[in-house]
Amino acid sequence: MKKFLTITCIGLTLLSCRKDELQNSDGPSLQDIYGPFTIINTLAASQNTVDFSAGQSVYFTCELSKTINWEMRIIGQTSGAEKIVNGTSKIIDASEFTWEGSTTNLPVFRAETCDVFLTFEGETDTLTTSVTIDQPKTNEGFVLANFETGWLLGWTSFIQSGASMDFNIKTDPSSPVGDSYYNMQGEVDWDWLVGLVNFNATAYGSPTLPLTSNPDNLYFNALIYGDSTYINSRILFQFEEDEDGDGSFNISNEDQFGYEIIIEWAGWKLVSIKYSDIIGNGNGGGIHNPDKINKVNMLHLADPLSGIAKSKLDYIIFTENEPVNL
Amino acid sequence: MRCILLIVIITLSFPSIGQQQKKVQFIGGARSLISVSDFSTDAGDSINPPKSSGGYALIDLGVKIRTNKHTEILGMFRIRNEYGGFWGSGVAFDVRQLYVRGVAGNVVRYHIGNIDYKLTPYTFYNHNTDILTSSHGSMAIKESVFNYESFYKENTWRQQGASANFAIQFPKLIDEIEFNGFIARLNPSNFSTIMDRLYGGGNMVITQSKNAMIGLNHVSVFDVAGTAIDSNVYSNNVSTLTYDITFGNNKYKYGIDGESGISSSELALNQENKLDDYFIHARGYFNFKKTNLGFDLGYMNNGADFRSFGAQSKRIDYNQQNNFFNRYTNDQILRPVSMYDIYNDPTLYSVGITDKVMQYNPAVNNVLPYGLSTFNRTGFYFGMNYTDSSKVIEGSAKFYSLQEVRGQGTTALKSFNYLKSDIVLNVSNLLKWKKKLKLHAGLAYQTTNRSTEFVFEEVNLTSLTLNTSFEWEVIDQLYLLGNFFILQSSGTDQLPIRNSNDVIINYSSFNVDGMESNLAGGLKFNFSEKVYLALMYESSKNNFVLDNPYQFNQMAIYYIIKF
Repeated sequence: MKKFLTITCIGLTLLSCRKDELQNSDGPSLQDIYGPFTIINTLAASQNTVDFSAGQSVYFTCELSKTINWEMRIIGQTSGAEKIVNGTSKIIDASEFTWEGSTTNLPVFRAETCDVFLTFEGETDTLTTSVTIDQPKTNEGFVLANFETGWLLGWTSFIQSGASMDFNIKTDPSSPVGDSYYNMQGEVDWDWLVGLVNFNATAYGSPTLPLTSNPDNLYFNALIYGDSTYINSRILFQFEEDEDGDGSFNISNEDQFGYEIIIEWAGWKLVSIKYSDIIGNGNGGGIHNPDKINKVNMLHLADPLSGIAKSKLDYIIFTENEPVNL
Repeated sequence: MRCILLIVIITLSFPSIGQQQKKVQFIGGARSLISVSDFSTDAGDSINPPKSSGGYALIDLGVKIRTNKHTEILGMFRIRNEYGGFWGSGVAFDVRQLYVRGVAGNVVRYHIGNIDYKLTPYTFYNHNTDILTSSHGSMAIKESVFNYESFYKENTWRQQGASANFAIQFPKLIDEIEFNGFIARLNPSNFSTIMDRLYGGGNMVITQSKNAMIGLNHVSVFDVAGTAIDSNVYSNNVSTLTYDITFGNNKYKYGIDGESGISSSELALNQENKLDDYFIHARGYFNFKKTNLGFDLGYMNNGADFRSFGAQSKRIDYNQQNNFFNRYTNDQILRPVSMYDIYNDPTLYSVGITDKVMQYNPAVNNVLPYGLSTFNRTGFYFGMNYTDSSKVIEGSAKFYSLQEVRGQGTTALKSFNYLKSDIVLNVSNLLKWKKKLKLHAGLAYQTTNRSTEFVFEEVNLTSLTLNTSFEWEVIDQLYLLGNFFILQSSGTDQLPIRNSNDVIINYSSFNVDGMESNLAGGLKFNFSEKVYLALMYESSKNNFVLDNPYQFNQMAIYYIIKF
């Protein structure tokens, strides 16, 4: 018995070799954290030109000596549009970032050459390359208004007769998408309403807007400009549903949903909301039926005591599945 | 049936069996402590008052009731009064102990309530990993206080639960098989995200003869599914085999003993972070019976992913703050836990096991921060001990030469050396004095190294703990006590930072170059074996915190009674 136990115990001890462990280590590599930083392969684009409208994308490659926090900044030479990506890795490749033409800071990219800058936290090195956009990114969805072709037949508007009124489509480089946008400006000291635009479905050749019937899958998006010196503007979007399909909207027995945005920012900003999250009057049962919208009203509002109000509007688009990715 | 099994109860630690005992017995203790401290720092401190005084008196009063010869109930209350507290202010009442124990059916011994339990060094064991040298003189008084406060008794952990054991004796082939089991609750459910977490296990020890023993041990930390909305059940299972085989004659004894086993730790819904590993620990020993000289040579190989929280929980949680001058300097920086605090502040000690990897202080113990069951260590150790026949000299020494099993952040491994030694010289025995005079010296010296081609991977850390003391009985039962303690550490290490899943996510650089010293002296008068009064004065210096060294002097009076 004792011999058996002795042999068993010695055998167990001899079995305790761990040769495989010598090839492994726990945790992040110390080389990655404390090692010297060098660039092994410099920054390069996977292709020199890219057509985002055709669904193409571009990625960038770079290999470093250690894992480090990096920032890639792509800047359009003409538009000034910016795409900013941050990451932490030793190798930058398609798995880290693939650019499909989207934008971080408006305006959106156009057909232009872009400069690409790669910087590293705590290091002075900046790597550069460039890529040329043949055609910019396009977005799937129903564009309610982008103002590129002027005032659409079928849209209606009401502008108060206040002071310094300027409700017009303007074309200049400050447009975030394309070349044009809708400018809204004026001072109305007797009413909250400064001006409004009715985007009637008839302007698009049908009694209702061509939208999905699923309100949980539909997103309303718009680009809105806030002026830092006039922070009194707010925009109210009203969605009128022709519940009974008689070609007109009756507020007493049909749903009107409203989405009010208080403009508290400076510059262009994308606002998006799921259609089912928009609150309604409940007069038509309160059920969201986006396929029955026959008019979208855009009301520019301001406190009558606050003086002149200024804002801009562009690229109003309905998208499915997710908010628009500019 | 020729082979008769004898089922027996184990009566060694339950004295009521077979003895005439009082039906109701009062037990407990009392302690009074008064201290005055004078704190100062070279960095300047005009915010904190430099002096503090305080103290308390407490009494632990327990009532032990024996309802019958097989059942015993203990309830112990604590009344504590801070000095200066009066009419309810500063007075605290608490329940300190509560249990029922007895023998069921003359076969199974059970214990319900507060249980002090241990199994084996790799399953369930309270390793003392921060006090590396034995305590004598004034430090022995301090250690007895925090051991009492924290319920530390011979490496047991205090748990709330139940335990049971019984044994079966055999007439031949093997002498006895002993069964032990326990279950305890580590934390209660919050009925939302935290499940009831229990800790249970047991062992079966087969004693073939007085020279051969083998045991099977298992412990498990586990969540009780359904006690919270969360279904991510955690478990930590450890199974081990222990053995001790002895050979020899009336002159010497030699043999091998050890423990080997496996562990697994996992969250049911987070299998990618599951940890499985094993360990081997074997030791050969040789003892000369006549000269009380012994040697042992051991080998240990504890896997990097070996987790056994019942054996890897530390007594000190280094994440907590001090209660004594916890901030100092005009910048009000936190004063880190020092050896002074470890010896003087019982509230720093954990009274139960912790089910995560606890932080440790590399300056104190970087080699075996979780005791023998420290994970990611492999190597050999050699030890010797000697006690002469007249007990003039009692000494022990052990040297560990270890390294990591798996590197951290690199395939280069840290290597560790650790020498610990304690020697006691009983001068009174040497000179055959009636009055006692005892000198003691303890040493713990540790080095940690990792040498690679990269400077940023290099590790070089040394620490030295030196503890000397004397106890001199100048007149009957009046002892003069003296202690000198040093902790010195210098060098660098890279300590892993782990996330809640026990995965290393980063490292923190540990740079140290400091020393803590404590010079203490005092008088102790023994009124009886269980009652004494001690007056101590000590002076401490600490410069571990760069640019913010501090020192203080303290006088304390202890009055301790046990009954």
